Amino acid sequence: MDGPGTFVPISARLHPKKTLKSSPESKFWSSFKTTFLTYNLPITSINFCPEPPHDFVVTSSATLFTFDGITFTPKSTIRKFSDVAYSGTFRPDGKLLAAGGESGNVQIFNPKGDPLRRLVGHVHPVHYVSYPHNDKLHILSGGDDGLVKWWDVASETEITTLSGHRDYIRCGSPSPASEHLWATGSYDDMVRLWDLRNTSPVMELGHGKPVEAAVFLPSGGFLATAGGNVVKIWDVIGGGKLVHTMESHNKTVTSLCVGKALVPGESEQSRLLSVSIDGYLKVFDYMSFKVVHTAKFPASLLSVGMSPSSSCRVAGSSNGRFFIGKRKGHKVEPKKDGPDELMLPIEGVGEENGKWAPTKPWHRGYFQRGQTEKHSEGDLVVNQPKRVRVPQHDKLLRKFHHKEAFVSALNSNNPEVVVPVMEELVARKAMVRSVMNLDLEELELLMKFLDKYVTLPRYAGLLMRFAERVLQLRGEDIEGSEELTYHVLRLKGMVSEEIQIQRSLLEIQGIISPILRMAGR
Amino acid sequence: MIQGGKNLVYRPPAFSGDGKRLLVCTGNTVSIYGTSTGLLITELVGHTATVTSVIVLPVAAPASKIASYCWTSSLDGTIRYWDFSSSQLIKTLEVNHSIYSMVIPNISGPPADDNGEKGDLYALISADSSKSSAQQRGLSGQILVYNLTKSVLLKNTVSETLKPETLVGSYSGEFVGIVTARRLLIWKPPRKNTDWVNLGKFRVRLHHTKSFTTLAFHPSERIVAGGDITGRILIWRGFGKRRFAKQSLTSRRDVENEEERPGVRGNDDAESCATWHWHSTEVKFLSFSSDGAYLYSGGGEGVLVAWQLDTGKKTFLPRFGSALRYFVDSPDPSLSSISSADNQIHLVNLQAMKVLKSIPGIKLPFAIPEIYEGLWSNGFAVVSSAGLVALRTENYGVQFYSLLHDREITQVVVCNRNYQTNDDVTVVVSLLALSGDGSEMSTVEVRLPEEGIGGLVCLKFWECGSHSGDFALSTVIYDPHGDAGISAVAFHPTRSMVVSSSYGGNFKIWIRSMDIQKKDGSLQKGGWRCQSIGTYKKNPMTAAAFSADGSVLAVAAGFVITLWNPNTNTLVAVMGETPEPIVALSFIPNAEHLLSVSRGSNPQLSVWNLSKLSLSWAYALCAEAMACDMNSSKFAVLVLAPAKVLSGVSSHRDGLILLFEAEDAVPIATWCVKKAKGGGLAFLQEDHFTKTENTTNGKIDGKSSTRLVYLNGDHEYIVFNPFNSGDDTTSKPHDWYHPLENEEPFGYKAMYGKLPDSTDKRENLETVAFELTDKPWETLFSGSSHVLPPLSKLCHVFLASLLEKKKEVTT
Repeated sequence: MDGPGTFVPISARLHPKKTLKSSPESKFWSSFKTTFLTYNLPITSINFCPEPPHDFVVTSSATLFTFDGITFTPKSTIRKFSDVAYSGTFRPDGKLLAAGGESGNVQIFNPKGDPLRRLVGHVHPVHYVSYPHNDKLHILSGGDDGLVKWWDVASETEITTLSGHRDYIRCGSPSPASEHLWATGSYDDMVRLWDLRNTSPVMELGHGKPVEAAVFLPSGGFLATAGGNVVKIWDVIGGGKLVHTMESHNKTVTSLCVGKALVPGESEQSRLLSVSIDGYLKVFDYMSFKVVHTAKFPASLLSVGMSPSSSCRVAGSSNGRFFIGKRKGHKVEPKKDGPDELMLPIEGVGEENGKWAPTKPWHRGYFQRGQTEKHSEGDLVVNQPKRVRVPQHDKLLRKFHHKEAFVSALNSNNPEVVVPVMEELVARKAMVRSVMNLDLEELELLMKFLDKYVTLPRYAGLLMRFAERVLQLRGEDIEGSEELTYHVLRLKGMVSEEIQIQRSLLEIQGIISPILRMAGR
Repeated sequence: MIQGGKNLVYRPPAFSGDGKRLLVCTGNTVSIYGTSTGLLITELVGHTATVTSVIVLPVAAPASKIASYCWTSSLDGTIRYWDFSSSQLIKTLEVNHSIYSMVIPNISGPPADDNGEKGDLYALISADSSKSSAQQRGLSGQILVYNLTKSVLLKNTVSETLKPETLVGSYSGEFVGIVTARRLLIWKPPRKNTDWVNLGKFRVRLHHTKSFTTLAFHPSERIVAGGDITGRILIWRGFGKRRFAKQSLTSRRDVENEEERPGVRGNDDAESCATWHWHSTEVKFLSFSSDGAYLYSGGGEGVLVAWQLDTGKKTFLPRFGSALRYFVDSPDPSLSSISSADNQIHLVNLQAMKVLKSIPGIKLPFAIPEIYEGLWSNGFAVVSSAGLVALRTENYGVQFYSLLHDREITQVVVCNRNYQTNDDVTVVVSLLALSGDGSEMSTVEVRLPEEGIGGLVCLKFWECGSHSGDFALSTVIYDPHGDAGISAVAFHPTRSMVVSSSYGGNFKIWIRSMDIQKKDGSLQKGGWRCQSIGTYKKNPMTAAAFSADGSVLAVAAGFVITLWNPNTNTLVAVMGETPEPIVALSFIPNAEHLLSVSRGSNPQLSVWNLSKLSLSWAYALCAEAMACDMNSSKFAVLVLAPAKVLSGVSSHRDGLILLFEAEDAVPIATWCVKKAKGGGLAFLQEDHFTKTENTTNGKIDGKSSTRLVYLNGDHEYIVFNPFNSGDDTTSKPHDWYHPLENEEPFGYKAMYGKLPDSTDKRENLETVAFELTDKPWETLFSGSSHVLPPLSKLCHVFLASLLEKKKEVTT
């Protein structure tokens, strides 16, 4: 039975909505669930294979670890190095691996770890080794001797040596636009672009700090370099012009990589990921020059990688922790062999020749037919009238059981519920009476609520006065009970803390107001 | 001149015999509403004072479709007989007593005499007493019998009462009763004409310890129910068995034992008495269902309670949003009407416990607590362009009422809370302001604290939807001025800007940020935010107003007026001093003048010259309301007449409306009005009037067509032309009345449906006006008789001329 006016449950005051912090993209980036493995030694390099399933290789000390790109589990371990290995990298088809090393040699393995070739030429450690994008036969390496060498892998011969860098070469990147164009970065603060058909650099970009990482952005027109705590973006086609400087890291940026953001409803967009000694991973939108996401890791990060399928994002730290971030909702698809169990027909509903056959009356399903039927597009759906759930305190208020309603609200221990009930009781002039009627247990409930929320700015105006009134009304009862006294003491603590805060705020106001006054002139 | 805003619930209404119409006493007229549409059909105009009761003749035979006659009684001392289907007055009977209530016991036709002659029709009337002897005893009411057939007032007074009481008759006309203080008095109207003289002798008294408020008779049995002020319902069964026994039985039996008559007090003539108590406040009405199985009761809680008479079980129809006043049954068992105190009549289906339709009247003023001293607000605002008035309602809302059509437009719920009838109001919509075009509204609601805890002032901004009065909440601001209350809210005339002034000593200017179209196509609604705050010497700000062009903001800071530039929030000037704090300000458009009102022991109405920044002229008058004409420099003020010593009866004080020219202290016109306390004034703009006048009178009113609205303390209003008292003949707008729609099909139609439309095609033809080319017979016979040809020859020509094929006239 419903009257002419419908029952209105009490409602909380409206408050401004919190501004939506998470854009869909930051939601994507925060959807990576991070786990870690520990290797004890710094992880200097991570390289993903561009071919699906995007296996990746991780270089840590004298070992290369390869991981499966779908299950993110270790696949094989290569320990064929006499000294520290650097820059383990996949051949674009994923069938070979190459790595430099402290010895100055570049070694080629198959994924199982059998050494196949050894490129000897560098006299100093080789920190950078890379295959070109679409070429299985050559390798570019950069060493601490300041030389860049271009190798023919099959014959283990050096094709060209490019000299120009005056310090250790620590990074480089093949251009996605041209197979001849390479960029290498060195500790002499310079990034040099090489055309392999020439021996002298095509372009020299002064980064200003020892260059730790360099990567071409997917279009090939831009180059991102990292050195010191800045990441710089250069327009290569436009003559090496500095486009943007990102200074959001606090310490040296150690590695860069390019990843794709898969935002539902939008086309996939490339982002630049950078990691730094300060332990932060930042995702940079180089179109709008904005940091779109920041993640903090509990260690200094040395290397970063992101799967081309965006299914995982990995980072390696200086203390040997290897962080694997798996994207939530990215399902590991089981291999299909044999008929899928899920597709088996339900009992009683036979499937013949691809058509649903009518069930026979001796089947159980005959009697259950149509029960799970979903309505089709054009059907008129008659919904069951929704039962409005009226909260307990509203039911009690409706019956004018004021104290019971108050206690029921207190039990929820949610100020969003309690305060509106209190306001309603005030409007009915029943607040004081219901406080008087509370028994000791209920009073404790109230005191517990008060000492928790009394200084919450949103409700302080009401609760402060109310607390004072409660203490006046029920002083004797409170003195008699230990628990209640404890709550009063806590309340006192909360209030004095609040007074402290207010005082310091006033001090700040006192400092600021003359400044504002002067600024206003 | 338009009058409206009548109280629909002053007296109980009456249903017509077929239950399709509802006759409602509205002031001096009886308004007839259609029960299916809830719209006004027509009015019975004739009484010169308030109509107090309507009695419809019941349908004698079901076959006769229209038995639409009714009796009405009025305070003007007449009883009138009407044919309400054609709204014609048939008969007027002079009684010469102000009639407060009337009952015609044998309405369905007086019983036949022993001789087979039809008896006369008698009415019991409750009138004010004219006898000085009775008045000296403090009895100002009396109950009389009037012979309607012979138009004679019987000499014998049935009873004398402290004040004129409401008479209640039983369905069958067997009993008539009244309540007086702690007693129910019941008479049994006689069958014989001659016995009416001695009616007063046959009386039963039933006693109670509390004051009664209402009573009701069972339709078939000897059961009477009485409700008292504490909410109890007493039900006596078998009353008057002794008293109304055969008159021949003179020897009375002895007083029966108490045990045999449970609950009956003293020597009361009843068999038993039961008490039911559910209502927490006064029982306002009681009514038995037509089959006698249920008793309906209602009261201040706004809940209709249906009691099962045998078991006492209750069912409820709650949340009417206001106290209930009257309950009237219709001949149709599924239709009843409930009059609620907020001037609304609900048509209820009691079988389904459902409200079918509501006939809303203008919301009545209600008692609000004195929140702040001298708050200038009568709780309404006028949209002058649309002819709408917005009134606050008791259940925390705002009603939009069309002044021109005397009809509710819509209601807006300001505070979403269940209405509770407390003794004292704790939540109230205190202020209400509308922007000039009526597209934005601002309300202030106040929640009063309990012992200093939990008070709240809430400023709300509303935006109008597609049609006027359809408001949606835009912004809520809690405690906009801290703990301090808001004294005034005013809209900027052209921009989305609002000023709110507070007793806490500051005023705030609020502006609306525009809606922002977001990148993803969603619309981010713009809200209102504070633009600036101003204070003047920490004085409480008591009133605020924008000038007509919006360039100046005047804020009254107690005794002085401060003028501000609202855009830069800079103080421009300070004016004068008044003896009492100013409570209201208003700029007079088209003149450099500002009007201020202060109340208190030393009230003053002042006109300030803005160019000289000085007082222009002032009167020591207590102004209740003021209004400025937007097109001229005239303004009207409603002032209260000094409280008369003589008229101490009513709290409604009489007043004066004064029309001034801004420069001139001598009023142009004055009108004397009643119930000025709590009244209001407003000017309405022309459009509607010229339109209605064009349609009704067919001529264009070339002159100023501004109208002045006066809303009195009871929210009755009058719209008139203040500048030209002569042509106040404007009839009601043509869409004032609504014909009764959807005549029920009957007879053949009801059984077989409507016949195909077989009306003559002739009707569909356009009527073509014909005109004779000339009048040949005029010349035919002219000339002297001796030159005329013989008549036999002329006859042929004459007839041919008459039968001439006439040509079509193009008009």
